[in-house]
Amino acid sequence: MPLDTRRLTGPESSQSPYNFAPVNKLDLTQLDKRPDGRSIKKLRPLFLRTNVVSQARGSSYIEMNETKVICAVYGPREVLRREDFSLKGQLTCDFKFTTFSCRQRRQYQQDSQEKDLSVLVLEALEPAVCLHKYPKSQINIFITVLQHDGSALSAAITCASVALASAGIEMYDLVVASSAAICGSVTLIDPTAQEEDALLKATVKPDNNAGSVTVAFLPSLSQVSAISSDGELSFEILNKSMQECVANCQKLYPVLEHTLVKHQQELEAGRS
Amino acid sequence: MAAPMPVCIPGRKLCKESDTHLPGTGTYTRNGFIYSSLVGTIRETTDESNVKTISVIGKENNSIIPYIDAIVVARVTNVNPRFCKCEILSVGKHHLQDAFRGMIRKEDVRALDRDRIEMHKCFRPGDIIIARVMSLGDAQSYLLTTAENELGVVSALSESGK
Repeated sequence: MPLDTRRLTGPESSQSPYNFAPVNKLDLTQLDKRPDGRSIKKLRPLFLRTNVVSQARGSSYIEMNETKVICAVYGPREVLRREDFSLKGQLTCDFKFTTFSCRQRRQYQQDSQEKDLSVLVLEALEPAVCLHKYPKSQINIFITVLQHDGSALSAAITCASVALASAGIEMYDLVVASSAAICGSVTLIDPTAQEEDALLKATVKPDNNAGSVTVAFLPSLSQVSAISSDGELSFEILNKSMQECVANCQKLYPVLEHTLVKHQQELEAGRS
Repeated sequence: MAAPMPVCIPGRKLCKESDTHLPGTGTYTRNGFIYSSLVGTIRETTDESNVKTISVIGKENNSIIPYIDAIVVARVTNVNPRFCKCEILSVGKHHLQDAFRGMIRKEDVRALDRDRIEMHKCFRPGDIIIARVMSLGDAQSYLLTTAENELGVVSALSESGK
């Protein structure tokens, strides 16, 4: 990646303060209680709000304890780049971690991980949007992770679908996403950054399972719109954890519904 | 105060599609049922023959884009002997947040005496016009026409700019 020379970078011989912090090793296979006190099957509480970016057509903010994501939707607007004529609308997505969101400082420019996540969010949302209603135009989604404490992808997908709905974009269904981390025989629902980190460092036997799964789900149509899985997982384990993720998506759906109903009621109260 | 109308969200099943229940705006049909595709309130309109149309009314100014046969208000940006370019400012009653590009070809300016049209005598940059969308056009712009009595320039400055 090209380095940005116009911005001040830190001194060359700097060290992260985390190097001096006490290391608390997390052994995921011997986990009776998670560091934040949840049981392994419990989701973090979800906080959702719409109308947070005033100039956007629709926007939303999601908070799952320390994971905070904001999303803005613009459009439908004209496609500025010269492209072939298309009777279907285009969806674009820009996923960005803020520089201060992670333990390791992020760059201002989009890196390859962020580009990958943009594509994944797009894949999860495209089946849900009625793109044929927006010929020749594009809908832009901008996702910014303000604080990253694990499961940023699932938070971003959920957040973006609420933002699209609040923007008045026609959709077949909402999209809810949920994730799980698997280490050996343990499946951790909605992992935090610490747990995701521990999973990467975990030493597992070659025939053992270690990885993570994110599932995007259309709740009222009962369809899975996207699956993303990392690491090495056996088919049975993957299948089981996917089903758990789908069940969790269904648990989260009422929160989205409530948020959007409230959004509409506020809109009508403002109108009258 | 009237009771609050039921609010629905995308993907909510509204009712069965039949000869007496038709899908309206903001809805789609799937497997013989009408579903909502918007966040909004449900509206039921009944016509003379007792056919109900179920539609969902979202927020005003609802993500509208120019469509064929729509009456649009546009501002002329560029005139040349063959066509003029303009930016579409509003569609019907709805003001657009971002302008869309439109184009009026020489032969679509008026219905009569079409081969004696001189573009620069019809439009000047900055004129506000009312036009009808003829087709979605090419990748860049919508094709507009002013070949109707009630269409054409509605507001313009004089040559001296006053």
